[in-house]
Amino acid sequence: MELSRRRFIQASALAVTGAAAAAACGKSSSGTSAAKSSTLTLWYWGGGLSDKVVADTVKHFTAVTLKPSVIGGDFKQKLLTTMTGGKFVPDITGIKGEDIAGFLPRADRFIDLNTLGADKLAASYLPWKWKQGSTTDGKLIGFPIDIGPTAMFYREDLFAQAGLPTDPAAVGSAVSTWDDYFALGGRLKQALPKTFLLNNSGSVFSMVVGQGTTRFIDQSNHFVGDQDHIRRAWDLALRPQQLGINAKINDNSWNAAVGNGTLGTEIGAAWHALDISSAAPKTKGKWRVAAGPGGPANIGGSFLAIPKTSGNPQAAFEIISWLLSPENQARGFTDAALFPSSPASYKLPALTAPDPFFGGQATIDIFGPAAQKIPVAYEAPADAAVAAPYYSELTSIEAKGKDPAAAWSDAVSQAKSIAQKQGVSV
Amino acid sequence: MAAQSTAAPRSRPGSARRPAASHRTRGPRRVWSFLPQYLAISPFFLVFLGFALVPVLFTLYLSFQRWDGIGDMHYVGLEQYRFLISDRTFWLALSNTLIIWVLATIPMLFIALVIAAMLNSTRRLTAFYRIAYFVPSVTSLVAIAIFFFAVFSSQFGLVNAALHAIGLPAVPWMSNPWTIKVVIALLMTWQWVGYNAIIYLAGLQAIPTELYEAARVDGAGPVQSFFRITIPLLRPIILFTVVVSTVTGLQSFTEPQVMFGSNASTNPNSGGPGQAGLTVMLYFYHQAFDNNDFGYGAAISWALFLVIMLIVAVNWRIVARTDR
Repeated sequence: MELSRRRFIQASALAVTGAAAAAACGKSSSGTSAAKSSTLTLWYWGGGLSDKVVADTVKHFTAVTLKPSVIGGDFKQKLLTTMTGGKFVPDITGIKGEDIAGFLPRADRFIDLNTLGADKLAASYLPWKWKQGSTTDGKLIGFPIDIGPTAMFYREDLFAQAGLPTDPAAVGSAVSTWDDYFALGGRLKQALPKTFLLNNSGSVFSMVVGQGTTRFIDQSNHFVGDQDHIRRAWDLALRPQQLGINAKINDNSWNAAVGNGTLGTEIGAAWHALDISSAAPKTKGKWRVAAGPGGPANIGGSFLAIPKTSGNPQAAFEIISWLLSPENQARGFTDAALFPSSPASYKLPALTAPDPFFGGQATIDIFGPAAQKIPVAYEAPADAAVAAPYYSELTSIEAKGKDPAAAWSDAVSQAKSIAQKQGVSV
Repeated sequence: MAAQSTAAPRSRPGSARRPAASHRTRGPRRVWSFLPQYLAISPFFLVFLGFALVPVLFTLYLSFQRWDGIGDMHYVGLEQYRFLISDRTFWLALSNTLIIWVLATIPMLFIALVIAAMLNSTRRLTAFYRIAYFVPSVTSLVAIAIFFFAVFSSQFGLVNAALHAIGLPAVPWMSNPWTIKVVIALLMTWQWVGYNAIIYLAGLQAIPTELYEAARVDGAGPVQSFFRITIPLLRPIILFTVVVSTVTGLQSFTEPQVMFGSNASTNPNSGGPGQAGLTVMLYFYHQAFDNNDFGYGAAISWALFLVIMLIVAVNWRIVARTDR
C-alpha cells in the first residue's frame, strides 16, 4: 500500500550494500592507483549483455580475473549511488541509452576511452552511435553495445485480407511518408473494422522526434520544444486519432491486442520483435518487417564505460573491446537480441539468417540499412525530463478527450518550467 | 471514558513502587546496571538512527539544495518550495492522492467494521475466516497490482468479459481518469480491509458482553447497541485505524508504479493515461530518480509530510472530540 520513506531508504540501502558486497569480492587491497588490480568487476543488467559472451570473456582473459555481476532493479540509480559513495565502484559498467546523456556532463568521473586506444576502433562502429557516447569536446565515455534501429512491423495476413501490398519492399514504399502510412491505415480499418493502424499517439510522437536532428533542447542549451519540428511531430501524432485508426492502448492490454489482430502494424526498434513474439507467440509467421514511415530512428541501445576509480583501466578497455567486437556482437544478437552497433556484424550469418517468426524474412535487410541512416541528434541531459509533459498530454487527449490545443499549450508550458528547473535557458 | 478511568488506578501501584527502586540505584550507575536491557533494545534504535532518522534529516537539508545525485550541491534557499507551489503537476498529484485515499479509506474502514462484527459473531471456522481476511495484507503488493491490472484491463480483462457476458458495455477501466482511481482504491480496499477488520475484532472482543445484555434488557435493538455501545467503545481503535490508513493511504506508490510503469523509456512513472494515477509519492520518485532532481524530490516529500500531518490532526480532532 505504501512506500514509506523509511522502508524505501532501508530497502535501497540494503540493495546497494548487497550489490556492493557482491561487486567487492576480490577487489585488491583498497585499489591504490599505482598497483594495477588483477581483479576487475563488471556491472550490467539482465539482458544488457549476452550472458554467454560474458562467460566466454571471463575465460578468455587469464591475466586478470573478471567478475561480472548482473544488477537488478533500477540500474542507473544503483550506479549513481555507488559512484557518489565512492566505494565498490565497478571497474566496467553498463550505461543504458536513455541515461547516457545524463552521465556525459559528469565525464570527469569516467575515463576517456580514446586515451586507451578507442579512437583506433571508431571506424568499426556506427558514427552516430559513437557520437552519442561522446561528450561535445570529443571524449568517449560510452563504448557502443547495441542499438535500436526502427522499422515497421506489420501483419502480412491482415494486409492480404485488406487487399494491401504484402511484400516488404512494396509495403516499405507504400508507407514511405507519414501521410502514406495514415492513408494505408484508413484502408486497413475500412476493410477490417476491428483492426487499428497503431497502438497510441505517443509512439508516433517519439518516432517523429527521433527522425529529426534536433530534439527538445539545442546544443547551446536552449529550449526548442515549442518550435516547428516538435509541433510537426505533435500534429502527426494526433492524426491517427482524427482518422479513427488509433487503438489508444496505454496499458498492458497491448499484449492481447498485438495477438488478436487489433493492431495491424507496430512501429518500433529491432528489439521490439522480441516483445511481439513473446506477447503473441501464436502469430508466428504472420508478421513481416518493412522500412518505417518517415525514415529510421533509434530507440534504446546501451554502452559500457570505465569509471575513473577503476583499478586497471587498460585491462578493462581490453576486455570491453573484446567483449564488443563485431564477432561477439553478432553472437549477442543471437543470444540476447542485442542489435549490433558494428556494421561489420551485419554480414555475419547470425544476422543474415531467416527469422521464422517473420515468415522466413531476413530482417537484417530492413534493419541493416536503417541502422546506417539514423540521423545524428544532440540529446541534452534534461531531454527526457523535458519531453515527459508531451507524452502525458497526448495520453490526456486519448483518455479524457482533452482539447488538443489546450493540451499543446499545457505541454509546452510544463516543458518550459521543467527546462528552467533543470538549468536550460527558455 | 470508562476504559481510561479503570486503567488509571491499575497503573498507580506500579508507579508507586518505582521511587523505592530508584532509591537503590540512582544516577549513572543505575543506567549502567540496565546495560543488558539497553543493549537488547539498541538494534532497533541504531537501525532507526542510521536508516531512518539521518536520511530523513538529510532530505530536509536536501530540499534547500539543487543536486543531480553525483555532482556538487548548490544551495538554492526556498527555490524548490517556490517551484512546488506553482507546479501544476504537483497539485494534480496531490488531488489524485486525496481522491484515491478518500475512495479507499472510507469504504474500507466501514466494511472492515461490518466484517469484524460478523467475525465476532461466527461460531464455526473462526480461524479460517480470520486468516482468509488477513492474507491479502501480507501478500506481495506488486503481485496484487499486476493481478488487478489484468483483471481490469480495458480491452481483455476479466471484469469486462463478465460485463460483456451479461450484456453490459465494456468499461475502459484503465484509460478513464476516474476508473483508474477507482481501481487503485479498490485494490487498496481489498488489501487492507481484512487487516483493519482483525484490529476491530480485537477491540470488539474487549467489550464486555454484560453491556450488550444490559442494553437488551433495557430494550435496545442490535442497531441501537451497535451505535450506542460498539462505536463509542471502539473509538480509540477507530482513531488508530484512521491514522494508520491516512499515513499509508496518502503514500500510495507501488500500485500506480506497477500498473503504469510500462512505457518506461519515453515517459517513465507518469501515472498512466492523463496522469490519473500519479500520486505524490510517485511524482516524488519521478522527480528524484528519473529526472535526477533530488532537491525537488526532497521538497515534494516534505510537502507530503506536512499534508499528512495536517490530515492526521484533523482526523484526531474529529474522532477525539466526541469523547467529551
